[in-house]
Amino acid sequence: MLALTLLAGVSGAVAGAGDNLNVPVPVHQRETLGNGLRLILVPRHDIPLVAFDLLLRGGARFDPPGRAGTAALVADLLTHGAGARDAYAFADAVEGAGGFFDAEAREEAIQVRGQFLARDSLLMLELLGDAVLRPHFAPEELENLRARRIEGLKAGKASAPQSLLPSYGRALLFAGHAYGRPVGGSEQSLAQITRAELSGYYAAQTGADRATLVIAGDFNPARISRQVAAVFGAWSRAPAALPPLAEPTRVHGRRVLLVDAPGSAQTYLWLANVGLPRRYPHRAALNISSTAFGGSFGSMLNQELRVKAGLSYDASASFNRGTVAGEFAISSFTQTENTARALELALATLARLRHDGLDAARIDSARSYLLGQYPLALETVTDWAVAFAELDLYGLPESYIGQFGTELAKVDTGAIRAVIDEAYPAAEDLDIVLIGDAARIRDAAAKFGPVTTMPLAAPNFSPAADTR
Amino acid sequence: MNSEPPPTSTARRTGRLWPAALCAAAVLLPLLADAAAKAQPAPMSFAAAGDAIRTHTLANGLQVIVWPDHRVPSVALFNWVHVGSRNEGTGTTGLAHFFEHMMFKGTARRPEGEFDRLMEANGARNNASTSQDVTVYQDWFPRSALELVFDLESDRLANLSFEPQSVEKEREVVYSERRLRIEDSNPAFLDEQVQATAFLAHPYRIPTIGWPSDIRSWTLDDLQGFYHRWYAPNNCTLVLVGDVEPEQVFALAEKYYGSIPRGPAAQPVRTVEPEQTGERRFTIERNGQNPLVQIAWHAIAADDPRAPALNLLQTILTAGDASRLHRLLVEDRKLAVEVDSGWSEGFDPNTYSVYATLAEGASPAQFEQALYAELAHVLDAGVTPQELSRARNQVAAAFWRGVSTLDGKARLLGEYAVLHGDYRKLFAAPAAYERASGAEVLAAAREVFKPEHRTVGVLLPRAGVEH
Repeated sequence: MLALTLLAGVSGAVAGAGDNLNVPVPVHQRETLGNGLRLILVPRHDIPLVAFDLLLRGGARFDPPGRAGTAALVADLLTHGAGARDAYAFADAVEGAGGFFDAEAREEAIQVRGQFLARDSLLMLELLGDAVLRPHFAPEELENLRARRIEGLKAGKASAPQSLLPSYGRALLFAGHAYGRPVGGSEQSLAQITRAELSGYYAAQTGADRATLVIAGDFNPARISRQVAAVFGAWSRAPAALPPLAEPTRVHGRRVLLVDAPGSAQTYLWLANVGLPRRYPHRAALNISSTAFGGSFGSMLNQELRVKAGLSYDASASFNRGTVAGEFAISSFTQTENTARALELALATLARLRHDGLDAARIDSARSYLLGQYPLALETVTDWAVAFAELDLYGLPESYIGQFGTELAKVDTGAIRAVIDEAYPAAEDLDIVLIGDAARIRDAAAKFGPVTTMPLAAPNFSPAADTR
Repeated sequence: MNSEPPPTSTARRTGRLWPAALCAAAVLLPLLADAAAKAQPAPMSFAAAGDAIRTHTLANGLQVIVWPDHRVPSVALFNWVHVGSRNEGTGTTGLAHFFEHMMFKGTARRPEGEFDRLMEANGARNNASTSQDVTVYQDWFPRSALELVFDLESDRLANLSFEPQSVEKEREVVYSERRLRIEDSNPAFLDEQVQATAFLAHPYRIPTIGWPSDIRSWTLDDLQGFYHRWYAPNNCTLVLVGDVEPEQVFALAEKYYGSIPRGPAAQPVRTVEPEQTGERRFTIERNGQNPLVQIAWHAIAADDPRAPALNLLQTILTAGDASRLHRLLVEDRKLAVEVDSGWSEGFDPNTYSVYATLAEGASPAQFEQALYAELAHVLDAGVTPQELSRARNQVAAAFWRGVSTLDGKARLLGEYAVLHGDYRKLFAAPAAYERASGAEVLAAAREVFKPEHRTVGVLLPRAGVEH
């Protein structure tokens, strides 16, 4: 019954604010170690779990030219042999405690995440310290992980072609920019990465002043703070400060990349242009507009392509926002012979949004939907660890979460009109990627812009060899 | 590393269409905390975690289960309808899943589109999924939308209308879903063929999304007949978790569901799969670069007392990088780039499958040989105490992850209430897992891994495809 008392205690706090629009940001404490590591502790005792999220600022943007996947392999290797444990012993320690522990590269960070039973929090910190400070980079593990990544990319082409659209699309849209490189590498670039390049990346792009560690869950803050200092206190700073990322520029006109998948049962579509950064000031209006346009089942895109036309099981659109502007992209798929029809409908729906804007009913509906759903993304200790870490990565204030409801409530039709004009590309200015059977859709594709064709089986994501 | 806690699904109206998806769930299902509790008292004991749950059964047979949880001002409502593709027959395969799609169309009271429009305008998200055993309708919403959701859910259970035009459009949507999930996916295509080969008689041979010719030919009559036969309050289990009070929920259930008449008793699936008496094997060729192997053995039903032992075995064999088959076949022998296994826990005995993706050019025969040798070793020597302890801790932690969200609680309660026959078994599971001994795990392995009970499917990249 202790449990229920605790739950009731928490509920008092939330229920009091229940008719408030905002999700309260939980009590937490922040400190910065002498070496620059930023620590955020979020104690919560309702369930005996502890979660952490450690972000190392840098990530895949520092992959050497022609070596996309370097940060991804570095991240893989952090958990495959570190400290006194080889790869098997590390996995055995994690799984033996029923834990979860993972490291992966993103465009602008290496993210190390985990979750353990509360009684194992000391083991968790020991493993985290080993992974980040004392990875082995064992040559045989590098070869294993390289092979698994390469074969995984090949197998993905025959199991989930839709998941590859952003890799092809970003290579086209952000050519020459860090956002254009495939974070997980290509078959070609992965094959060329050397162990020396991995060590070089690790030496140059990791260090305490690049790191933010959030720990959330069932622990004693004073005790865990001392333990973190003991584990990470001697970590040195990174050799250099982070340079700013260049601002990507929008494309004008259309280009079509046709990725030939002979025998494919349908065509997978992706239409995009450069969108907005994470720190875009009118984020509540942006979220309302993108929910109404392509972010929910009742959105304009899904209504047109799925519900009214029966052309697809799914059609959606979203903004991927980083330190600088990522892409706005529409994504769907359709039976091969309907390729042109689905593309035309997607373009017409985008043009309609830009021309007509959103009416008050749609705005109110999207607002209610976001207000109703956003508490459900902030339920668990893992949710909160990730949320605090993301705020820190992009330099956003806590009010980004804690005042989101209030911000949503303020959005009016004028704000929506302004966001649509600023954020959404013209239907004439898009990079388009089609994965499908080229022999059957080449003519249809040509109606939408100059077409470049490459085979799905090619070992990289752009028609020109990846030599950047 | 270890499998990640499942994210909240963002897919819409997806079916849990192939066992691979169910397996991932199966690892997380049966869970317990005793291992954790014994080592150090947890702030909340597993046995006590469900004390706040209340149930109520309406006169028309609708069972309602409520688990109050006030941490966020939200509610998850899942309606578990006790019908899946195992209740289908020749000519109408895929009907349960297609019907799931039709449940989002209009009713006698509301035109098509109103259901989703009202849901979203009131902050609610919804989805549904169909499996071999059940169809589950899911709503996640702010507590302010509780009465509206009751109104909408009860309306479509009682008053669904069937417009010929929307049936035809939805037929195309479902075919698009089949292309996405099966026809453009080598692992799913192989699984469909393995399942259809492993079962000769029992309807677990039917792919949940349906055979193409049946998707093309369902009729309005088929849909209406299905509705009247299966969609009745006495064939549903309604689970609510979140910022609600039981008495309030029971009053709403009486108000909105109380007048819906009881339907016919559900017809049992009579067919029992006859014992397989020899290995079945096939090879198919598809576009792609990597060979795939899937081997399915006939196993047991969800409510079988040996289920905890089989789930521990599954965890020991393939859950995580320290697991036995991953270690041997991926890391040491490098015969596969990925190996997984799982078992669909259903009303009737289903198969236990091992799935493998091989490197380009690798030999399925070598993989099979190494796999069978390792399984023979398990049958001979059993599993180690260290493996057993690791597996118990993995399922214990998975329990706490499972009950850390409204969605996870609604899923677990429904799975135990419907597939295991009583939600209280969820809270008895810890003791069952703690009791499952190495000898019982070995007995489960011996029960399942019989060569004459297996079906082997091999998918080879089509010769002559330009790489």
